[in-house]
Amino acid sequence: MAVTLSDIVMDFPGTRALDHVSAEFRFDEVHGLVGENGAGKSTFVNVLGGSLRSTEGQLALDGQQIRLDSPHDALLRGIAHVSQEGSLVPTLTGAENIMLGAEPRLPGGIMRRRALRSSAQEVAKKWFPQLDLPLDRPVIDLPMAERKVIEILRALRGNIRLLILDEPTATLEAREKRQLWEIIRSLPQNGVGVVLISHFLSEVVELSDRITVLRDGRQVATLDRSEVSEAKLTDLMLRREAGMAASDQRPVAAPAETGECVLSLRNWQAGSVVMPEFDLHSGEIVGLIGLTGAGHFGFARSLYTHQGVASGSIFVGGQAVAGKGIRVMQRAGVALVPDHRMENALAGDGSVVENLSMVHPQFAASRGVINRRRERAEAARIIGQLNVKTPSQNQLIRNLSGGNKQKVSIGKWLYGAGDRYRVLIFIEPTEGVDIGAKREIYTLMRQLAARGAAILIASSDLGEIAQVCHRAIPFVHGSPQPGISAGEFSESRFISAISGEAA
Amino acid sequence: MTVNSAARIGESSTGKRSDFLQRYSTLVVLVLMFLGFSIFVDRFLTPFNLSNIFQQIAILTIVGAGLTFGFAAKEIDLSVGYTVGLAGILAPVLLVDGWPLAVVLVAVLASGVLVGLVNGFLVTRIGIPSLIATLATGSILFGINFLLTEGRAIYGGIPASYLALGQGRIAGIPNLAFFMLAAVLIAWFVMERTVFGRYIYAVGGNQKAAELSGVRITFYRMAALVLVSVFAVVAGALLAARLGSGQPNVGERYLLDGLATVFIGMTMFRPGTATILGTFCGALFIGVINNGLNLIGMDTYVQNIVKGVIILIAVAIVSRTTKLNLL
Repeated sequence: MAVTLSDIVMDFPGTRALDHVSAEFRFDEVHGLVGENGAGKSTFVNVLGGSLRSTEGQLALDGQQIRLDSPHDALLRGIAHVSQEGSLVPTLTGAENIMLGAEPRLPGGIMRRRALRSSAQEVAKKWFPQLDLPLDRPVIDLPMAERKVIEILRALRGNIRLLILDEPTATLEAREKRQLWEIIRSLPQNGVGVVLISHFLSEVVELSDRITVLRDGRQVATLDRSEVSEAKLTDLMLRREAGMAASDQRPVAAPAETGECVLSLRNWQAGSVVMPEFDLHSGEIVGLIGLTGAGHFGFARSLYTHQGVASGSIFVGGQAVAGKGIRVMQRAGVALVPDHRMENALAGDGSVVENLSMVHPQFAASRGVINRRRERAEAARIIGQLNVKTPSQNQLIRNLSGGNKQKVSIGKWLYGAGDRYRVLIFIEPTEGVDIGAKREIYTLMRQLAARGAAILIASSDLGEIAQVCHRAIPFVHGSPQPGISAGEFSESRFISAISGEAA
Repeated sequence: MTVNSAARIGESSTGKRSDFLQRYSTLVVLVLMFLGFSIFVDRFLTPFNLSNIFQQIAILTIVGAGLTFGFAAKEIDLSVGYTVGLAGILAPVLLVDGWPLAVVLVAVLASGVLVGLVNGFLVTRIGIPSLIATLATGSILFGINFLLTEGRAIYGGIPASYLALGQGRIAGIPNLAFFMLAAVLIAWFVMERTVFGRYIYAVGGNQKAAELSGVRITFYRMAALVLVSVFAVVAGALLAARLGSGQPNVGERYLLDGLATVFIGMTMFRPGTATILGTFCGALFIGVINNGLNLIGMDTYVQNIVKGVIILIAVAIVSRTTKLNLL
């Protein structure tokens, strides 16, 4: 009982995205699929899910050759794809979303609301009897984990045997992740195989029965659970760079706190967060951690936008900042690299150079007129410094991979800025970024700090905090807790701190 | 609104061939049309007729160039036709009243700035989407235009110096063509070569990102709408000079045709984005169709149908691969 893909080749104009990749996805296993951005994971599951027709190669279901021309075709064969971005209608209820497109109806298309509710309930009970899902609330009001479950239920609604989950936990916080893991584990026991794509290797190792590793469109290995470890997977995914990996990962030693204080807060109150006193020093990288809703993201954002700030004073470089808001903070030397880069940081239909110059276009201009040669030279400098992989400066942002998009989002603050930004605030700096680019971003952060900037990182990736920060400040229900210094970093220390247990 | 849903075909780069097709298909159609008319319609490819085409599209192009600023900032101005009409009435009314030409031109420009500021205020300060706000202000302007003229056309008493702006020729080339080229060049320069233009595109490309980058989005959205109106009143003033009269309802057709130039333009160069060169080609496109079909002797209403179909085909080619984000 399996879907088999053999010798799949996928050619796009100019590139071979998949080069003779084969895999067997059984209906009684969780099959992890890992690789860097650009390794071909998405292309591979798009072939499996019917979104793409492969150039060469065959698909077989239980040994019989099949042909999938569309996602609908795949659904009829029992293959469903739950994409990373989410495909729920935010204003519809959980039940309506689960039954979307298969609403029980009377002649004339009139919806039978009660039947719809009970069918949805039935689906939910059948698959996850242990959960108590609020099916009658608009999904926009639900936590991310429950939204994901509802999306999975919609996929399971039909007669599904193989479920493709693309980064299912990307937007979830630690506890929610565990809940979703339980759900993923329960599927093969009920006869539904899972293809799991995830950037979190620990998750893949934890959940998968077998793991296929892709690199540059080639299949590097398919391994049994017993043979893998995170280190081994990382190595397989990145073998080219294996040499430099070890030295790069070690956290930097904490700087002596003699660096001048570049950012101070006194009695800062923003949203639910009250921060009586906070000092950030030159050369320091400080992490903000917490569960979803702990307020650390909003706090980080408030330093730049002043959104939700009720009271308090902010000093940059020893000077009290007069006035409020983005432009004031920017002039004072504070920069924000926000989360959800396609919503908050980049114009997807704009070119690389347009996006890079978004903050300081006047750098290459005199009297408002842009000198194109200077602009291109400066953009080229940033592209080089950050190692942005793009065929040209005119490439549209939306055609870049996640890691390169993020580099542009950071590069905006370096273009034409010199060292003027002394405080850089990052929110989820590596969400949806592959390992290689992640490392480059961490290295960049260290370089910026070494040149005297102070860096604040709000992140839900605890491993990231452990790798780059000198100290971490846990947030619990809006209140910042005593800081943890790099020497004491450990996963268990972090988890107990953010869950509010006394250390 | 989902910004992140741009189609990611696997993880590959974009195809070069489909890219080219996207960018230049409309341009190719334009060239083919031009060649077709040149070969099969004997009076088409003559210096006189070509300069005629320029005269015919000059005013439309100026309106379209203005609208392009709006579209680049993701603001649409549905009052633009009535703003053209307003200037087309205001200029003759004041001239007939005996105002000096220079003062009249300043007054007309000021009226454009005022209309733009009102639109901009409603959109940025009150928060009404531009589509709706300008629908309403358009209706108000329509009423004002009729009040100003009491519903009649204004003839006579317009100084010849003014009429020359719209009717004269220099070295056989219509004055209007020069105005058009000047408007296109200025608009192109501002959009493509200045910090101001960058910010307009940034605001239209992703307003939230522009705001978080420190761009004064309110100012630039407002500025875009003011520019739409200013270009519209320039067009309106030239229209009155060309017609030699002020008429309350001549501006209306510039709304739909103006939007058409921008839409056609959005299919080329940077698909999905309004550009001045694109709009200019869009105007040429419409001008060549109208002129060619005219010479063949086709009825104007049939021309409209043909024009509509060709616009749909052009946009359809692009829409298959690119999302035309209008609003």
